Amino acid sequence: MSQADAMADIPHLLLVDDERSIREPLAQYLTKQGFRVTQAGDAESARMRMAAYAIDLVVLDIMMPGEDGLSLCRHIRATGETPVILLTARAEETDRIVGLEMGADDYVVKPFSPRELAARIKVVLRRTAAGGTRQHAPDAGSYAFAGWVLKTGERTLVDREGVSVPLSTGEYNLLLALVQRPRQVLTRDQLLDLTQGREAAAFDRAIDNQVSRLRRKIEADPKAPDIIKTVWGGGYALSAEVTRL
Amino acid sequence: MIRPFPRSLAGQMALLVALALALAQAINFTLALRERDQFRRDQTTRPAAIRIADALDREAEGRPIDAERGRVRRAAANPITPSMEAQPALAAELRRQLAEQGVRARHVAIAIAHRGEYVVPDDAVGRRMARRRRNADVILIAVQQPSGAWLTIAGFWPRDEERLFWQLVGQTLILYAVVLLPVLWIARRISRPLKALAIAARGYSPADPPDPVEPRGPADVQAVILAFNALSLRVTGMLDEKDRMLGAIGHDLRTPLAALRVRIESVEDDADRTRMAETIAEMNRTLDDILSLARLGRPSEPATQVDLGALVDAVVEDFRDLGEDVTFDEPPRVAMTLRPSLMRRAVRNLIENAVKYAGTAEVSLEPAAEAVAIRVCDRGPGIPVERLGDVFAPFTRLETSRNRDTGGIGLGLALARAIVEEAKGTLTLANRDGGGLVATITLPRV
Repeated sequence: MSQADAMADIPHLLLVDDERSIREPLAQYLTKQGFRVTQAGDAESARMRMAAYAIDLVVLDIMMPGEDGLSLCRHIRATGETPVILLTARAEETDRIVGLEMGADDYVVKPFSPRELAARIKVVLRRTAAGGTRQHAPDAGSYAFAGWVLKTGERTLVDREGVSVPLSTGEYNLLLALVQRPRQVLTRDQLLDLTQGREAAAFDRAIDNQVSRLRRKIEADPKAPDIIKTVWGGGYALSAEVTRL
Repeated sequence: MIRPFPRSLAGQMALLVALALALAQAINFTLALRERDQFRRDQTTRPAAIRIADALDREAEGRPIDAERGRVRRAAANPITPSMEAQPALAAELRRQLAEQGVRARHVAIAIAHRGEYVVPDDAVGRRMARRRRNADVILIAVQQPSGAWLTIAGFWPRDEERLFWQLVGQTLILYAVVLLPVLWIARRISRPLKALAIAARGYSPADPPDPVEPRGPADVQAVILAFNALSLRVTGMLDEKDRMLGAIGHDLRTPLAALRVRIESVEDDADRTRMAETIAEMNRTLDDILSLARLGRPSEPATQVDLGALVDAVVEDFRDLGEDVTFDEPPRVAMTLRPSLMRRAVRNLIENAVKYAGTAEVSLEPAAEAVAIRVCDRGPGIPVERLGDVFAPFTRLETSRNRDTGGIGLGLALARAIVEEAKGTLTLANRDGGGLVATITLPRV
């Protein structure tokens, strides 16, 4: 009984990759990080493992012989709520977008740092646990607000005339955090937490600085901001109506 | 601009045929003129000789030749003046004809009088002649009898060279219409499909599936078009194959890199592990660069409207986030149509170089009416003038560089230039006054 409880507390990952040279050391590493890891070498055995165990999260390689990762990802999404993190060999835009459209929760590009992967697994698990029901993937779809559209797949901001305004990594993460929580007051600490899941290095700089840069890009008058409001007492809120597209 | 000589097939064929026809017509004209001259000589001399002989016969029968009446008249003196156009050949012919008729003459002269030099007498004969031929010259025949008396015959001499000339022009035009139109038609039948072929060949882009040119025109031209269609299919097929191969190479190299990256996590020594991770990251970046450079002819990213100022600013901001000293004043909005990820890569590579060699970079963007210039300036060691051109060649590294430790195999500039040129722009390097290097991307504003 106590052993079963302990097992239930440990997140159970399914690691799907046809490359043993990656799969085995990675499983070892993740086990050391406190996960329970089940391995699968192809899509078919992955399906069998998913049926046999209560899997909390799937780490899935896109490029596999036979049925590929994208197809398996779609299957997982169609049959349940289990979150998926994709391993992709290419940083190509299209792969990332397709993967996220298939319903993946996150992705890492090979060669990835196992630490980063572990950190992302934890973020996704926390989000799933906190949400009760599974939330939308952070990177799927687009958000429309105040005449702007934030396209998350392509990671670009597009204005009324269809001209895209490229954002730095930091600006993008901050804007995404704000747009996903319209009319909520977010303190600087919360914003740091929310944006740190991705490229941590990008967030050495203060939130205030990023906010003022974002305002210069999207506000009609950056000195009297209408979209990103400063909230008295410390924090920011997106005051515009947001529509998910 | 009108070229003195047409360069198109139709133009050259038409010109050549026109020149050949004109030459043939000129030869015909000359021959016709000579024949007419011969005919006129006969027409002039033979009747004149007969008339004179006839008049002399009648005089012998007691009907004297009058000075005021008849075709053959008496004259007090030679009516031919030196200003008239003497016709010695005609005169010699007439003398021969007269001799044949048994008429002896001391002197025979024929001349053509232009208008005003001789007035045809206003009598029955003169009026009859004038009625038929207005504005013509007058031919005067003067024969001096052995007695010293003069006999003259005057007649109109039609000037028909001009008429003949226009006749020739008319004939030539008819020939042109009959011959040139079919020539032009056949030339166009050849040149039209050739032109379409040239356009297709110029517009060939490996990025799009080839659009076969419709085989038209004569069989020879159709064969060329079909061969071109097959060739473009083959080229696209080869490029597809190259893409697949590069994808496979990328995958095959990344997989062991990824395995290595996972394994080094078990290395105990932090410094060692960090160095290994950096080496792997560097190898991966190089692999990325090689694949990007090789695939640049067929970019998968579509061109979109992008604010170039924000694009450069975003790249600069990413460098600042990493703690690099890069300055940039964000300019007003500059909307351009380009492939944003690739252009980001190009700008990033230039700034990366500046930061690597000089530690700092000053970036500026100058929008002008025709083109936009992105400048990345540094105060580093610069590049010797004679080697400025070399650094674009892939895998070039200058001896002066000190980046052996930080990596970089000299693909950065080659990739940046390839990206900029794919966007129809230029990338140039120049040394700055006071030391350092300036890299300038110039992009045309469409």
